[in-house]
Amino acid sequence: MNVIFFLILLSLLVAVGFLAAFFWAVRSGQYDDEYTPSVRMLFDDQVTKDNNQL
Amino acid sequence: MSNLETFSYDNRIVRKFAYMTAVWGIVGMLVGLLAALQLVWPAFNLGFAETTFGRIRPLHTNAAIFAFVGNGIFTGVYYSLQRLLKTRMYSDTLSNIHFWGWQAIILAAALTLPLGITSAKEYAELEWPIDLGIAAVWVVFGINMFGTILKRREQHMYVAIWFFIATWVTVTVLHIGNNLELPVSMWKSYGVFAGVQDALVQWWYGHNAVAFFLTTPYLGLMYYFIPKAANRPVYSYRLSIIHFWALIFIYIWAGPHHLLYTSLPDWAQSLGMVFSLMLIAPSWGGMLNGLLTLRGAWDRVRNDPVLKFMVVAVTAYGMATLEGPLMSIKSVNAISHYTDWTIGHVHIGTLGWNGMLTFGMLYWLFPKLYNTKLYSTKLANAHFWIGTLGILFYAIPLYWAGWTQSLMWKEFLPEGILKYGNFLETVTQILPMYKLRALGGGIYVLGVFVMCYNLIKTARAGNFVANEEVQAPARAVAFTGGHKGEYWHRWIERRPVQLLVGATIAILIGGLVEIFPMVTIEENVPKIESVTPYTALELEGRDLYIKEGCLGCHSQMVRPFRSETERYGEYSKSGEFIYDRPFLWGSKRTGPDLHRLGGKYPDSWHFNHMYDPTSTSPGSIMPPYPWMIERDIDYGLTEAKLKTLKALGTPYSDEYIDKAIEDAQAQAATIAASLNRDGIEMEGLENKEIVALIAYLQRLGTDIKPKAQAEATE
Amino acid sequence: MSITVENRPEEKRVPPTAEQTTCDHCGEVCEQELVAFRDKHFCCVGCKTVYEILSDNQLETFYQLEEKPGQQLRGRAMEDYAWLEEEEAITKLVDYRDEQVLKVTLHLPQIHCTSCVWLLEHLYRLDEGVMRSQVNFLAREAYIQIDPRKLSLRQLVEMLARIGYSPRLQLDKLNEEKAAPIDRTFSYQLGVAGFAFGNIMLLSFPEYLGLQETTFQRWFGYLNIFLSIPVVVFSARSYWQSAWHSIKQYQLNIDVPISLGVGVLFLRSVFEIISHSGAGYLDSLAGLVFFLLVGRWFQQRTYNHLSFERNYKSYFPIAVLREERDRSWKSVTLDELQVGDVVRVQHNGLLPADGILVSGDARLDYSFVTGEADPIRKDLGEQVFAGGRQTGGKIDVCLTKTVSQSYLTQLWNDEAFSKDYSTGSSQMLTRVGKYFTPTVLLIACSTIAYWWPIDHRIALQAFTAVLIIACPCALALSVPFTLGNALRLLGKHGVYFKNTAVLEAMYGIDTVVFDKTGTLTERSDKLGLGYDFPLTAQQQRAIKSLTAQSEHPISQRLHAEWPTIETVEPTDFVEVVGKGISANVEGQMVYIGSPAFFQETVLAPGTWAKIDDTLIGPFQVQHTYRKGVGEMLNNWSRHYDLFLLSGDNDAARSELKRYFPADQLHFGQSPHDKLAFVKNLQGEGRKVLMIGDGLNDAGALQQSEVGMVVTEDVNNFTPACDIILSSRQFADLQQVSRYGKATIKVVYLAFVLAFIYNVIGLSFAVQGLLSPLIAAILMPLSSITIAVVGVLGSSWLFRRFLEG
Repeated sequence: MNVIFFLILLSLLVAVGFLAAFFWAVRSGQYDDEYTPSVRMLFDDQVTKDNNQL
Repeated sequence: MSNLETFSYDNRIVRKFAYMTAVWGIVGMLVGLLAALQLVWPAFNLGFAETTFGRIRPLHTNAAIFAFVGNGIFTGVYYSLQRLLKTRMYSDTLSNIHFWGWQAIILAAALTLPLGITSAKEYAELEWPIDLGIAAVWVVFGINMFGTILKRREQHMYVAIWFFIATWVTVTVLHIGNNLELPVSMWKSYGVFAGVQDALVQWWYGHNAVAFFLTTPYLGLMYYFIPKAANRPVYSYRLSIIHFWALIFIYIWAGPHHLLYTSLPDWAQSLGMVFSLMLIAPSWGGMLNGLLTLRGAWDRVRNDPVLKFMVVAVTAYGMATLEGPLMSIKSVNAISHYTDWTIGHVHIGTLGWNGMLTFGMLYWLFPKLYNTKLYSTKLANAHFWIGTLGILFYAIPLYWAGWTQSLMWKEFLPEGILKYGNFLETVTQILPMYKLRALGGGIYVLGVFVMCYNLIKTARAGNFVANEEVQAPARAVAFTGGHKGEYWHRWIERRPVQLLVGATIAILIGGLVEIFPMVTIEENVPKIESVTPYTALELEGRDLYIKEGCLGCHSQMVRPFRSETERYGEYSKSGEFIYDRPFLWGSKRTGPDLHRLGGKYPDSWHFNHMYDPTSTSPGSIMPPYPWMIERDIDYGLTEAKLKTLKALGTPYSDEYIDKAIEDAQAQAATIAASLNRDGIEMEGLENKEIVALIAYLQRLGTDIKPKAQAEATE
Repeated sequence: MSITVENRPEEKRVPPTAEQTTCDHCGEVCEQELVAFRDKHFCCVGCKTVYEILSDNQLETFYQLEEKPGQQLRGRAMEDYAWLEEEEAITKLVDYRDEQVLKVTLHLPQIHCTSCVWLLEHLYRLDEGVMRSQVNFLAREAYIQIDPRKLSLRQLVEMLARIGYSPRLQLDKLNEEKAAPIDRTFSYQLGVAGFAFGNIMLLSFPEYLGLQETTFQRWFGYLNIFLSIPVVVFSARSYWQSAWHSIKQYQLNIDVPISLGVGVLFLRSVFEIISHSGAGYLDSLAGLVFFLLVGRWFQQRTYNHLSFERNYKSYFPIAVLREERDRSWKSVTLDELQVGDVVRVQHNGLLPADGILVSGDARLDYSFVTGEADPIRKDLGEQVFAGGRQTGGKIDVCLTKTVSQSYLTQLWNDEAFSKDYSTGSSQMLTRVGKYFTPTVLLIACSTIAYWWPIDHRIALQAFTAVLIIACPCALALSVPFTLGNALRLLGKHGVYFKNTAVLEAMYGIDTVVFDKTGTLTERSDKLGLGYDFPLTAQQQRAIKSLTAQSEHPISQRLHAEWPTIETVEPTDFVEVVGKGISANVEGQMVYIGSPAFFQETVLAPGTWAKIDDTLIGPFQVQHTYRKGVGEMLNNWSRHYDLFLLSGDNDAARSELKRYFPADQLHFGQSPHDKLAFVKNLQGEGRKVLMIGDGLNDAGALQQSEVGMVVTEDVNNFTPACDIILSSRQFADLQQVSRYGKATIKVVYLAFVLAFIYNVIGLSFAVQGLLSPLIAAILMPLSSITIAVVGVLGSSWLFRRFLEG
């Protein structure tokens, strides 16, 4: 069943990849605020006409 | 000058994918309906090989998964990604290459599968040139997505994006992992893994295809579209983050549960089982998070079809993710496996979770894209009820059929003999259920037509916003309050892409490094002396078996239960499959298992059976294969095939390969002779495909003599 | 800039109508009149202005996201932010700055809804000098990035104030050392542990299931070692450190057996794997560390928007007007003030330091600082003390002390404030550890002693097995899960505990000390008015119209008494400082004031009114007690020894006698007295819970075992303490303490369960029969039971005590 080595190592590598991603996320402050993003994504962006930037 | 930037979102690409989602949805479901009808009235194959069940089943699954759901995913990703990251897609060109490339692949699949060009691996049937195409398009999608992430204006990456990323990375790995094959010709190849190993890889893939193509991306969509549609933040954002990481670290392992009671090592099976059970937690976490988002807004749900669709979708997800792990418990699996229960289960997932969520998304999306209101909420509600009804009519009969048949298979008379010795009895018993299932499917498709009408009307009413203009401040420097060390931020900014691309490359290199030893390494699957490679003719027969998609209805894996050894004979040993490329264990027994078929019936029986199944088995729902009796065997590739297999480790001697065709013709002649003896006369009989097939069928499971069996079992 | 708004003709005043009685901006109910502007109505010009600013800048979405989401601006005076021009003030405030960009993190307590987030993240629409802004809702903070060439920090702050989000800029802001990069090690440790746990478990399965293929065992074994190293050296680091720390102090806390267990697990496993004598227990190891960290994560309840560590510096404003050599007034930060400077305090302004009154009519409200209910009048040349809030006109004060040396602020020089604070580490666990650890070691040693003569191998195995199985993982989880969950629930309920250690401390309390003003009574701006005689509508109008002219708290209280009455504009208004006021209302003379204000011989104390020679009175202005105070005190007097320390005069003595023993009522207490008093109580071996509200309690709060602060609005200033109680929950106080005690009992129950598990495990271990499988099952099973018991138990009790 050598193929198991193959699968496990492959999956392990994926897991390690994601662990690295997890580190990046935490480190770059992605999860410092665990609430506001869920509100922010609700806002629909619109354009301001510049006429009133006196 | 202000650092406020004006830019626009690309809605064209979203619209393209949205339309194709609907189109392929209908196509895929209609094919499915056709297949369902053939299970009751074989005549619905219209008399063509190309439209016979064995060939259109893979077409149906591929169309549903990769065409319908696939386009659905891309619709949602291209819409939400731009908005969540406050930027246009990285490159419109790549977007379009992605779109047209993907449609081309689907088209290729739709052409090759009916022609019987298949690698016989479920959900990965497509042959190697198309596999390469898929890889290419997928990479394009990846570059486009990570490019967008790179040039984002919003620093925080909303949880949905993480689910998309996970999808991309894992699908890449899985696709490559499961499609390592050596081409014989343009449209024929053999996988590098054989037998048990092939099976393990296939279901490691098969499960994760479900996990990372049908689940993770849709969870991403759920986390975007439910809050949007309900206009309220997700119940707990923190929970959604935990949901993601928990899922990522467990899901990848759950594969082997598809092979319980097969010739896979026990521990690998139990492993799959345990991890599948562990999965209930994160899955339900996600489901509850989705549903609780709507807490206190149920009045809105009552009026808003979009939310209705999503509620049912999420509920279906919850049911499926509870049922799945249950089915992976060995004792449950003993009943559910090979029956229609599995089919019902997966359709709860696809029709309920993927389908309904897609519909909800489209109903929400079109008014936005066309800057108008939905043409008719009434129709949408109608569709909702039709769809739900369809699912019920589809699933319930199949559950019933599954349980009924499974119990009949296992029922013994007091005398200790099978109550339903004749497999056919267990089939005819559940035909009414098959009829209902076809009806359910029909209803469901009807609903989709209603949706298309509604959406087209909506599109007509409004005018399309091709480029949605928006403004957002530039993201010059990373901005998380600045007071956390500017330097680190600048440095880390470029990270997400590098990390993931890097990780993927590492994975691929790591993978490749292992494969080469893999392929050459001496197997430690218990060797059985008497097991020998297939003869040239048997090999051709086997490839015909694959071409006609026989494995869609017939398994080749006798499980170690009394009920099965009684019915089929000695249970299958892992050592018997070492020359099987690909493995043909199958996953469904619409017809009986064939692993011990060899020598059971005379050649002539097979000939008549293939010509008209009902002549030998009255009431059989197997379609007739007259064309196998008309068509000549094509020896064109035989030598190449043997060479390829030799390269992969099958011990064919060069001498044998040189005289392979003569050997095949000789063997064919003997079979033809035996047919003649039974009164089957025909011009050039020995050259017909049927002969090769008979050769293969008669060989099945005959390798191990009782003695050999004995030593293999201990 | 587009937010300078001149008065527009469209604006006019209208009476409230049936369908429109509330402000379209802030939702405030308005009895008198509304400001009609465009199609909207507002309670005041302030609100109207904000609406105008927003709508002119296409920010109406603000009003669509939520119903009337605005900040009430009525009666909010625009502060003077001139000091924000000062170089070093800016440098101290900003996070980062260069020529092109300036980044600042501002605390905006007013953030309360989706609309706030939206508006504050679209500031760039108000002024293009704002490059971007990002809100952290839970922390009530906005990270703002501006282009200093287009917009100064002062302009930014003024813009925010104008739209109703005045940043919280107190003195402490200046002395804050720049926040160090957030320490994220814990998240990493948790992530690593989780990752390793999942994968090691996977790789250990063949073992559990008795796989025979040795190639796998070895290969997986090595892989497991590889995976577990980061867990031991990185994830478990804090336990090593804590254990080492406690050993250095010649005591054995609970982390010692934990680290011991981890260490032994690792070494033995490595040995077994390398010597091919077994598969080791690395899965248990990773699981153990993972669960411990999850527990710790669960325990961390941080209320981002609350601070438990505030001192007077977060009470005083950051700047004040100072007279310069050239007689001009300049706004300077407090830390620049010198003895001899003359500072000017406006109405509602805070006196930053002790000094001599040199001009103006000082009427200083010390209720928050000393607990005295009524404002104190001072004459020119009199000494005035820091912390008073001036009510009435502006005053000038010549400083005799610097801010930090003033009478009040000296309080913080007491050693009570220098003594290091509870680390939040669990006292219960430490106590248990005292006995647990030696016992384990004893068992371990006796095991090896018993086996050694019989068989060295078994001896070593049993010895290590004991240390492994006795590793008090479950024990250590009981506190975080039970109390952590309790804290979260209490927080939802408006009772904020600093950490779980406080809950434990509550358990031992036997004495409760109350402050009066602002704690037992409502805040001083919620005075009650007592009078037992009827008033004609005409008299009411007369009084209301006159009192409208004065800012004296009693006047304002009288003014507020009859909301429905229409007022008229009085003529020739006269104010006799310290005595009373008079004016002509609708042709009749109206006088209001203290008895001394009237010629009449003897009048009962209180406030009197005279309308056309008819004397009305007395009006008694008194403090109203909080709802439920009575029952609570009655109930607590049965369980605790109750004291009252009030900075106020003893007017309330009579009614408070009902609840407190006469000799335990103390009035006229200075902040220093209170601190000393608590010290004495502790001297008698009492465990003291101090409940207060103001700066005058700060010392006592700090000194007591548990300090609790009652506050109307958790965003307001609260002195350093262990518990912040939203005044709405005051009535629940007794239930809260009951609940607290009950949860502690749950922890003890969890302890018992944990012990049972340990005993079971040990019974295997001492016989040398501990297989990896048993360990792998027992360990997570015990941890999970404990966690579930803790969480469910505390939740159930919460429903029973505080929701029932």
